[in-house]
Amino acid sequence: MIGLAQTIVGGLSMGAVYALVAMGFAIVYRTIGLVNFAHADVVMIGAYVTVTFYLTARLPFGVSLALAVGLTAVMGLAMERVLRPLEGRDLDLMLIGTIGFGIVLESVAILVWGSFGTAVPTPIPNVPLHVGGVIVTTYQLLVVAVSAVVMVVLFLFLDRTRLGTAMQAAAMDRVAATAMGVDVGAANALAFAIGSAIAAVAGALVGPLLYVSPGMGASIGIKGFAAAILGGFGSIPGAIVGGLIFGLIEAFSSGPLSAYADLITFVVFALAMMVRQTGIFGERTGDRA
Amino acid sequence: MRRFEWTAALAAAAMVLLAGCGGQLAGGGGGTSSAPIVVDLIGTFSGQNADLGSWAWNGVKLAIDGANAKGGVNGRKITLQKYDDQGQPTVGTDLAQRAISDRATMVYGSDLSTVSLAMIPTLTSAKIPQITSGQAPAILAQGSSFIFLDSTTSAVFDQTLADYLVQKQHITSIAMVSNNDAYGKGEHDSFLAELTKLAVTPTVDKVVTPDQKDFTSVLTEVRATNPKALFIGAEEVETGLIAKQARSLGITATFTGGAPMGTPTYLQTAGADVAEGTIMTSPYLDNDANAKTRAFAAAYRKAYGQDPELHGAKAYDGMNVFIAAMRKAQPDLGGQRLVDAVRAIEYDGLLGHFKYDERGLGLHATQIGTIKAGKVTPI
Repeated sequence: MIGLAQTIVGGLSMGAVYALVAMGFAIVYRTIGLVNFAHADVVMIGAYVTVTFYLTARLPFGVSLALAVGLTAVMGLAMERVLRPLEGRDLDLMLIGTIGFGIVLESVAILVWGSFGTAVPTPIPNVPLHVGGVIVTTYQLLVVAVSAVVMVVLFLFLDRTRLGTAMQAAAMDRVAATAMGVDVGAANALAFAIGSAIAAVAGALVGPLLYVSPGMGASIGIKGFAAAILGGFGSIPGAIVGGLIFGLIEAFSSGPLSAYADLITFVVFALAMMVRQTGIFGERTGDRA
Repeated sequence: MRRFEWTAALAAAAMVLLAGCGGQLAGGGGGTSSAPIVVDLIGTFSGQNADLGSWAWNGVKLAIDGANAKGGVNGRKITLQKYDDQGQPTVGTDLAQRAISDRATMVYGSDLSTVSLAMIPTLTSAKIPQITSGQAPAILAQGSSFIFLDSTTSAVFDQTLADYLVQKQHITSIAMVSNNDAYGKGEHDSFLAELTKLAVTPTVDKVVTPDQKDFTSVLTEVRATNPKALFIGAEEVETGLIAKQARSLGITATFTGGAPMGTPTYLQTAGADVAEGTIMTSPYLDNDANAKTRAFAAAYRKAYGQDPELHGAKAYDGMNVFIAAMRKAQPDLGGQRLVDAVRAIEYDGLLGHFKYDERGLGLHATQIGTIKAGKVTPI
């Protein structure tokens, strides 16, 4: 029983990170209808920028994280600006463009930080807390707390503010939204900026849990992407639930047969998708023609 | 008449070309000429295990620079070429083909057992001697007479370690976590075999993947068995990550394992407080062990501005064994002659006494060390 609870704790803390990554995928998809394949590498850049400010410039972790969020948001804006001529014309070309951006980001990371990785110490003393026989570390709590705050803020922004509604409108009908005075270009740019900023938060949080390297985006990105699909691609609550469930599936499958954890995780994922093709929350965003 | 002139000119040109090719052929792998001797270093210079490649490069280059400063091999200089296998077996085999077209006299590589294993068939069929930093017993089990280890195998490492833990320290409650690449599997099988010989059963025996980063589930099972020692069979970074996560889950066991634990990479990845008290086995624990290691460490610091560790030291030893063999085999450095020369010589290096057997194993002993005040110290 304690083992079960322990597995759930581990699964939830990684799941929170997957949820953040999934939200970044989802927000760009629900606004533009585009899968941003550079997203995983933005997570990696966010992790590296945070680590650089935190370990090299010796700034507090929170400040480093904020700087990384700002920097990746600007990077997201730049990415959208380059891809803007294709918006509303050819999503396939945009998609290929994001793959290109991903490759560029990874290469830049290798040039700047080297091809090897770096281990990151936890920013707060990582004390194991005993809760009824289950061990929860202080850093796991921090990861879950920060993720929760980001999720709530983003959900409220999209659901309760005029700007958030405008972004939703731009996604549903580009022409009608423009006629109603919504600046579709700005909405798209904002989606990219927010997605990239969240990616930086995910990267910064996951660094001390795992390991920061130019290739880290690939493994976290594919799981975040799968989580977004599991939740219902384009849905923010879906991304959150999908991320947490994906973290749990991974945690449970890595217990008994850890050497085959990824295999089991993705087989379970594939089975889940066969049962419910639209994901848990279905698709909430309408026509994206 | 005109036709005759053309034919004569063509024949002359063909002869010049053939002569050129002949010179080229002699200059390569086995030939007897004054052309430089080509050594290809195929190492892991990118990815999580990139430290291994740069350490191997440092050691091999130091040995070659030293030999070249003393006139090379009977007047022939040694040139060193560097290739990155990215830790990928497929890239490794491709680079092994490259070594053939480079007409390399020998190949140093790779740093990972998995990649080294993949390269063996290609290099052996081309009769190119290969020396590797890998330690997996599977490398020697290939039965190639062209493969050599620059230190010793997991079997030797783990026998020494298991004897120390069980017989000297009387620790019998030992958990095992290892990865499933060639090195991790070698460590797992060898350590488990030694424990079995000593009538000890591990409290838990878990296998992870080389790319895994989150070990919570596995370590939760380890914690439930409350072991006195946790044996980790994985490369430097992964070993450090497992140790770091184990402590954060409240596992108080002493970490123990092979040579990766004696490196700065393990210390940095795990964190000095987590790594403190780690018990490892390694044939090179101390730069101040004797006059030879002190001289090596001084030269290494001068060349690279950092302290040497095991991998740089064993690469230096391994390359020096081959340089000594080249001096014995010259003027003909053909693959078969060179491997025969390696087996014929004995060499006293930084790691100990080298005497290569038929399988390619030259070093037959290792030591036990611990991390004390953030520094690897011999016991």
